Amino acid sequence: MEPPNLYPVKLYVYDLSKGLARRLSPIMLGKQLEGIWHTSIVVHKDEFYFGSGGISSCPPGGTLLGPPDSVVDVGSTEVTEELFQEYLSSLGESLFRREAYNIFENNCNTFTNEVAQFLTGRKIPSYITDLPSEILSTKCKQSMKVQR
Amino acid sequence: MAEDEEGLTWTELSGHSSGMPADKNISSSVTRVIVKTAGKQEDFMIADDTSVRQFKEKLSTHFKCQMDQLVLVFMGRLLKDHDTLSQRGILDGHTIHLVIKSKRSSRSLAHSSRNLSTKEPCHQVRNTEGNTNGVYQPAGVSHTPLESALLVEPDAPKVHSQDLEVSGPEYIAQMLQNPSIQQLLSNTDLVRQFISEHPDMQQLMQQSPEVSYILDNSDILWQTLELARNLAMIQEIMQIQQPEQILEHPLNPQSHLGLETLPGGDNALGQSYVDCNDQMLNSSQDLFGGNPFPALLEGQVLQQLQSSPPSPPPPQERQDQLPQLPTTRVIYTSSHGLSSITSASVTPNKVNHTPSTHTTTISTKGPSPTCPIQQPARVPALPSIELTQQPQTEDIDATISLDSSDQKLEDDLQPSDEQTKSQITGSMMQLLLNNPYLAAQMMLFISMPQLSEQYRQQLPTFLQQTQLSDMLIALANPKASQAILQIEQGLQLLATEAPVLLPWVAPYLWGLGWLPAPSCSHPDTVPWAWDVPDIAEPKGPECCHKSGTGLQSLQSLAGDPSHLLQAPEIRFSQQMESLQAMGFGNHHANLQALIATEGDTSAAIRKLKRSHGF
Repeated sequence: MEPPNLYPVKLYVYDLSKGLARRLSPIMLGKQLEGIWHTSIVVHKDEFYFGSGGISSCPPGGTLLGPPDSVVDVGSTEVTEELFQEYLSSLGESLFRREAYNIFENNCNTFTNEVAQFLTGRKIPSYITDLPSEILSTKCKQSMKVQR
Repeated sequence: MAEDEEGLTWTELSGHSSGMPADKNISSSVTRVIVKTAGKQEDFMIADDTSVRQFKEKLSTHFKCQMDQLVLVFMGRLLKDHDTLSQRGILDGHTIHLVIKSKRSSRSLAHSSRNLSTKEPCHQVRNTEGNTNGVYQPAGVSHTPLESALLVEPDAPKVHSQDLEVSGPEYIAQMLQNPSIQQLLSNTDLVRQFISEHPDMQQLMQQSPEVSYILDNSDILWQTLELARNLAMIQEIMQIQQPEQILEHPLNPQSHLGLETLPGGDNALGQSYVDCNDQMLNSSQDLFGGNPFPALLEGQVLQQLQSSPPSPPPPQERQDQLPQLPTTRVIYTSSHGLSSITSASVTPNKVNHTPSTHTTTISTKGPSPTCPIQQPARVPALPSIELTQQPQTEDIDATISLDSSDQKLEDDLQPSDEQTKSQITGSMMQLLLNNPYLAAQMMLFISMPQLSEQYRQQLPTFLQQTQLSDMLIALANPKASQAILQIEQGLQLLATEAPVLLPWVAPYLWGLGWLPAPSCSHPDTVPWAWDVPDIAEPKGPECCHKSGTGLQSLQSLAGDPSHLLQAPEIRFSQQMESLQAMGFGNHHANLQALIATEGDTSAAIRKLKRSHGF
């Protein structure tokens, strides 16, 4: 039996605030946020991400954000490119439709998490997936303060 | 819960298959796995030693699909049929990802392309599948070698004689990208054979034999293929077909200039240019009624507040007047009562085209019969022509009237005087830049083949030099042009109603109208709207394109009302004396003439002579 091909899977992490969140979050939110993370999965020499336009792909580092701020090695996968495309299209029709984008509940990091688990069985680092809840908790606190 | 029932069902099944007692829901060998697919997940209870294949069978019945459509992925590894779940380390609570492949993707892509080529039955595909892939076989029907060459997909070529509705655009694109396909297409013989044997093409060829000629010419075929691949070329060709779109970008000479560089583009362009040229010529001739200036000079009145009807110029006069045009200077205001027309021997005409680029404004100025433009242009974009005052003798911006320019252009455009020629060009450019629409027309008009080179060279440099972009943008704004029009009309009204107030608005009047020489002079008290005194523009024969922006030239014009405010009698006292000595007794007329000609005695003399009918 021939050894299966293993394709590396990488996670590209971008800080959308370009460092501003780290500096301003204590003032604005009351807690320290290291960044506003946007992630994408790079596999089969393509970068896949979920945004307002649905699931999209581009050459690695080819988005407007430029090169990633950090790269996380997720693992490797046997999933072929064709199979991956099938999987993405099924996702794109179900969970990650274009209109299903929700900045807190169903965002790019949600997608990346799903895909990473499919490809490798591993999740993406928790500091990325916990970001919405962190922000929301601060906002709740703030709104509660305002209400008083 | 349905899941529990399902779990029971699975347990039952697994219990039967593995011999486990059915009432035992939870046993060490039964695991609960989560199967995730397409955004949803479900729990399944299966035995540990269930093989992947068996699991797939269950899943296929559950998800109502065929087994070969299922792909199971666990921890990034594809699960093979012969493995067992425990072998792969699938334990309780683990998640297995399931991908249900669509039916059509399980087939070779080559079959999807068949819709493009022929409507042959599928069995041919199967027959030729055994042939060497990627090898072009010249023998036989054109279809089969095509198909055999198409079967180069690396995937397992499962031949399904099923529906071929897969000829979607993405498949076509994918097929085109295939290098073997491209190699095929490069073979013009095959393409020609392929095309000619299509029944529709045969029908077409019967109807028009030229098509077969095209097909026989491999060069044409090759070029067509190249063309089809190059979207940019197609776009350019489309632009050729729509020259009117060029009008929208009059200040981008490169847009249509580039078309000429296309092979064969010149022909299409040339025709459109000729058409536009003719149209332009006709409209401009009508617009001016021939040469307006002799008409004005003939029937003119020297007094300020008079207006005389123009006599339609006979053609001979027009020709006679033609050589004088470069030296004729016409001063004209659009006001009803304030028209005075003089001629000078030195300066060329200056025509300031106001930004009001609608022909309707021409007709509104119709009541002033000295308006040379009475007939709305056929070309709707041509602006209303207003000849504005040239208070300065020195301000020879070398702008020629459009009419003279047209005539020069249509009369072989070979003015004898080299300097005048450059002046004409410069003035025309100035004119064009003031009016985008006019510029557009003139662009096409100018770009006659024999002139294209010359003007093309001059255009960029001139455009650079004038740097009128800001003003152009402002002038192109129809509301701005309307505003300026309103200002002018208001000033005219003021001039008729209360001329005494004019000095107060003199600064506003630069370039817009002709001020009657006020006897009072308040150069200091008049409110200056413009920084006129601060602008010491070099006056003189420096044309607009030399001295800088047209705005500056206009501003330098504004500097002149200051002179006007000084008593012209004082200014021109010397000239008045000389005129008196020559025998021109009409003191007032002399003064007016001198004012009009800015102290140019000889021009004033000419003016006076004409008015007296000499």
